[in-house]
Amino acid sequence: MAQAPVDTEQRIKDLEARIEELERKAQPAAAPAKVPVLGSVQTAPSAPERTAPAPPLIPVSVSGDYRTFPSTETRLPVAGYMDFHVNKDSGDPFSPDFHRFVLLFGHSFSDRVKFWSELELEHALVEGKEESGEVALEQAYLDFLITPKFNLRAGMLLAPVGIVNERHEPPSFNGVERPFVETLIIPTTWRELGAGVTGDLGRGFRYRAYVTSQLDATLFDAESGITEGRSRGFQASMRNPAKIGRLEYAGRRRLTLGISSYTGHTGFNLPGLNPRVDMLEFDGRYSVSRFDVRGLFVNTWVSRTGELNRRRQLQTGVNPNVAAQMRGTYLEPAVHVFPRRASNDLILFTRYEKYNTQQRMAAGFLPLGAFNRSSWVMGLTYKPNADVAVKFDYVVNGNKSQVTQAINGINLGLGWWF
Amino acid sequence: MVVLMRRHFLLLAIAALALAQVRPAQDPATQTPDRVVNIVAERFTFNPSRIVVKNGELVEFVIISDDTDHGFNLAAAGIDAAIPQQGKGELRIRFLASVNGRFGFECSRACGAGHNLMRGVVVVE
Repeated sequence: MAQAPVDTEQRIKDLEARIEELERKAQPAAAPAKVPVLGSVQTAPSAPERTAPAPPLIPVSVSGDYRTFPSTETRLPVAGYMDFHVNKDSGDPFSPDFHRFVLLFGHSFSDRVKFWSELELEHALVEGKEESGEVALEQAYLDFLITPKFNLRAGMLLAPVGIVNERHEPPSFNGVERPFVETLIIPTTWRELGAGVTGDLGRGFRYRAYVTSQLDATLFDAESGITEGRSRGFQASMRNPAKIGRLEYAGRRRLTLGISSYTGHTGFNLPGLNPRVDMLEFDGRYSVSRFDVRGLFVNTWVSRTGELNRRRQLQTGVNPNVAAQMRGTYLEPAVHVFPRRASNDLILFTRYEKYNTQQRMAAGFLPLGAFNRSSWVMGLTYKPNADVAVKFDYVVNGNKSQVTQAINGINLGLGWWF
Repeated sequence: MVVLMRRHFLLLAIAALALAQVRPAQDPATQTPDRVVNIVAERFTFNPSRIVVKNGELVEFVIISDDTDHGFNLAAAGIDAAIPQQGKGELRIRFLASVNGRFGFECSRACGAGHNLMRGVVVVE
């Protein structure tokens, strides 16, 4: 009995020693953890742990209006956007349309190998053998990140042409519908199967260059030019791969300038005839104070269109009247009613577009004035949140036809990104 | 006794000198940074995307978004935080550049088709 206090004292000492040992073991894991607290300043350890190598950049604090991440980039990021429209052409009733329901999935196999994809349901319904919407794979590619200046990409790729084709989330452009020029002269959404290189050259210059599947000349027409000729990854051909490239300058704050080119043969469904399509495009976006402006110019050349039209007329009985040149341009100034740092955003804009899918015809073919078009699009975009856009616009259309009168329209839209 | 007193006086003098040399240590989280860099994030770029700092500098990045939420992952500093969307504020991060080299940063929140290439580099020299 007399020895009991000694034992207890000894046990306490042993337990204290064990606690100290456990604390020592737990220390390396606990030290670098800086649990961010909203709005407060977090201070990292001023000296690195002796047991771990010092990081090259010693974190000091993270503060401001940021939100905490539950983890780093999730292994399977899921995002998406939706586009709901109500359109009304003059003389017609209001026509609602859930235009786009799009889900995006990504996956990081490692820091250097990453996947990205976009799956789209258009017009809300897909039925067999009925005229309805479509389910389409818009993007699905792997990025192999090697150096900032040189990376590889392969899969279903968005053509890096114009402003909207790669940045088509509804809150990122004004107007309920995408610009006519970026629909009828530059296909939208233009995607092809292929592979290529991407990179950041420094000083604000970035590039993308791909070889891709071909356009199909048998699907070209007078009204929408080459747009319907994109393969969309279905029954595509790479017998003569097309080449698409873009050089972009974003070295000055809120200024982006781009130049894109496309060249490729399109006759894989036309034995003995292989028309070539060349496209050259320039675009720019600039914001200063409460003002934005964006603009674009594009010209497309199609070779051997005389032979193409005659061949198609023999095959189908209809002359598609495909033009040898197509051209489009637009300019869109906009003003933000509220200060740029406000949580709400109201943008008033107007856009003038001129687009002619029959800019120049082959000898023996006449251009139709109905396809030499222009549009004024005037409207507003209200964003209660940067990812939610409520849109309204009024469209005044015109053409050079003596016979066909262009139809005006109003559009309402609700678009969101998450 | 006199020798002992002289020794004590000498030690006191050395200690006083040493103390005079030691300035109160400043908290790097609150002191004025050596360099402040304003960065704008927008689909799918950081501007500027190449930031050069000097070794030993206390650097602060002030990052705002011109559109949606983005993320800022500076793996070399073990920092990964969300950049609030336009109009919802800013993200401030601080780090001490202690080793020369090139250290990449990237957007760590899915933001669209160009997300994988929304990257930049911190050059410490």
